[in-house]
Amino acid sequence: MSRSYDRALTVFSPDGHLFQVEYALEAVRKGTCAVGVRGKDVVILGVEKKSVLQLQDPRTVRKVVMLDDHICLAFAGLTADGRVLIDKARMECQSHRLTVEDPVTVEYITRHIAGIQQKYTQSGGVRPFGISTLIVGFDPHDTRPRLYQTEPSGIYSAWKANAIGRSSKTVREFLEKNHKDDMTREESIKLTVKSLLEVVQTGAKNIEISVMEGYGKITNLELSEIEAIVSEIEREKEAEAERKRTRLAATAARQAAMATRADAGQPSGQ
Amino acid sequence: MARRYDSRTTIFSPEGRLYQIEYAMEAISHAGTVLGVLAKDGVVLAAEKRVTGKLLDLSSAKEGGGGYGGSGEKMFLINSNVIGGVAGITSDANSLVNYARSVAQRYLLQYNQDIPVEQLAQRLCDMKQGYTQYGGLRPFGVSILYAGYDPHYRFQLYHSDPSGNYSGWKATCIGANNGTAQSLLKQEYKDDMSIDDAIKLVLKVMSRTMDSTTLGSEKLEIAVLTYDEAAKKPKAKIYKPIEIDGLLLMHEMSKKIEEAMKA
Amino acid sequence: METSFALTGKGYVIVAADTTAARSIVKMKDDQDKIKELGSHLLMAYSGEPGPSNAYIIMPTQPTDPLLSFYSGDTIQFAEYVERNIRLYQIRHLYPLRPSAAASWIRRSLAVSLRSRNAFTVNLLIGGYDLADHKPTLYWIDYLGTVVEVPFAAHGYGSYFALSLLDRYHNPDATLEEGLATLKRCINEVSKRLVVSPDRYKVKVVDKDGVREVEL
Repeated sequence: MSRSYDRALTVFSPDGHLFQVEYALEAVRKGTCAVGVRGKDVVILGVEKKSVLQLQDPRTVRKVVMLDDHICLAFAGLTADGRVLIDKARMECQSHRLTVEDPVTVEYITRHIAGIQQKYTQSGGVRPFGISTLIVGFDPHDTRPRLYQTEPSGIYSAWKANAIGRSSKTVREFLEKNHKDDMTREESIKLTVKSLLEVVQTGAKNIEISVMEGYGKITNLELSEIEAIVSEIEREKEAEAERKRTRLAATAARQAAMATRADAGQPSGQ
Repeated sequence: MARRYDSRTTIFSPEGRLYQIEYAMEAISHAGTVLGVLAKDGVVLAAEKRVTGKLLDLSSAKEGGGGYGGSGEKMFLINSNVIGGVAGITSDANSLVNYARSVAQRYLLQYNQDIPVEQLAQRLCDMKQGYTQYGGLRPFGVSILYAGYDPHYRFQLYHSDPSGNYSGWKATCIGANNGTAQSLLKQEYKDDMSIDDAIKLVLKVMSRTMDSTTLGSEKLEIAVLTYDEAAKKPKAKIYKPIEIDGLLLMHEMSKKIEEAMKA
Repeated sequence: METSFALTGKGYVIVAADTTAARSIVKMKDDQDKIKELGSHLLMAYSGEPGPSNAYIIMPTQPTDPLLSFYSGDTIQFAEYVERNIRLYQIRHLYPLRPSAAASWIRRSLAVSLRSRNAFTVNLLIGGYDLADHKPTLYWIDYLGTVVEVPFAAHGYGSYFALSLLDRYHNPDATLEEGLATLKRCINEVSKRLVVSPDRYKVKVVDKDGVREVEL
């Protein structure tokens, strides 16, 4: 038992599972939801923001962070793990610039982060990171927006749109249904907000949106802007419901009319 | 089944929880209360000392333990601009405070400037996080309140817990009865309070949450961080027992005067 | 010969450096920027001390020759190292290092380097505008790890001619135009008196609005 500390904590189970990695994913599923959406030349990060307690300082609650001038990251899972991993990534961004004089590409830093996460699934005496990340940004000298995801297992993948954290499955399904290629800035933002509203019941005040529109161009939407989008979505939903109601009423009326006509027609036909 | 996952510190349970951290937090919720309130011109910390025996020699405390004031049990001067209040396992706290002081001094050596409060909290949290991820270690059983000043965000109050999370607060509480204290603070806290109002608030909340009926220096510690305009630097003060008694007396008198005025 | 000047004025710091890239006695080009922008409100002019190996003209035969590190590649190596570390600080903490803290950190890095086998031979002028107390500040740092906060400063052979002028004409309350005029005096004097004087300079200013380049 004295050597227990240097044994790998993550080992295969007889049926080939790495349980610690799977359980780490459970920690991610408990985290607040984060959504990434790629448009034509824009990429959006949206996160569910837990309500800040009355006496808490909102400044210290950060869900979307900058890794370098051109890359942003959102995470879901254990906050402390996130902070430590982010710090490692930030260091790598600057170190990369120092050694090769170029900023990192989004894929490079994603691979680096995923690599660290992988190491913590295999090395002796450590548990995996209990976080998934969404990484967005633009490569240097390139106009195509990028969106990647990493997981506790160290898997990384590129996406058109994706979600992590609480109820991410619902959100992902929503995105699969509604994502279109080549969306404009407004369309992308709207889709992000809409998908977040699938899990965030409390509306705009618990949503945070970061928009990246090119190399190094990041803006965080103001609460009022998000509120405007939310109310627009609500109006559309109502209009849609209204249309459905009238259509339903129309079909009902048509059916009724047909029935009366049939009634009226029947005797004469016979 | 739970035992399989809670015996080793750094393991996720099937629901994705880290039991050891939760247990550590449980330990803290039995510890002596520490309270922090942020005012516009300073920060106040107050703590409940748990006296363990009648024969305990507190004479060194009377002198202000460690030369910083306070008994050296709950309140620590971490740097000239930061005071820490700890709740939890005292021995863990001692080693964390030691680490915090070295971090602050290393920063001073590198940048010739006092460490910004949030960075100090962050550095401690990075260490605490490490103890939840690496094998063979148990988490620190300590929550800390940091009351500090730096030119970036002026007066600040942070709270860090065994998981390695931290957050900034206007007023908060750790340790036993923190629920009661928290709701009291929520009711009574006002933005742009002065430091005197904050001290009053702290004493009021402490008198409600502590087990004993009357407050006294044998069970209470108080520390205040303000800014010395003349010297252009923050001023940390951990009250000596005699000063606490004086403060309580004044508080009592002013309350009586107020009542008399009302009558 | 490498020369750099800097002076403070009312709410600003001017930093100027020659633009010659030389290798021993050969001028390679004359448009090198030797002033790094370390942040939105921080400038650093860097120049290499003519190190011990420059006393004799030795051309390194192989790229791995250890002597290489004594040539001016040194300065760039160090400047980039500083640049990246100061950027990392800002990204980590969301606010930049204050000029005084940056100067202390840089000085310490040089002092640590001096005590290693391959010390950096770099001289620096750090000009910054402190957003916390709204003051322009200037630091003179040499390769031995000395740091001094000064109202005006110079490095290189040019300093022998310019410092007396700066002493005579520097005014902490001067407008930017007056400050630039003083700088011109220094540059003219160096052109007039120094045997191998640089003919072009880059001039940058930092004030409350940030850093910018100015034409003389």
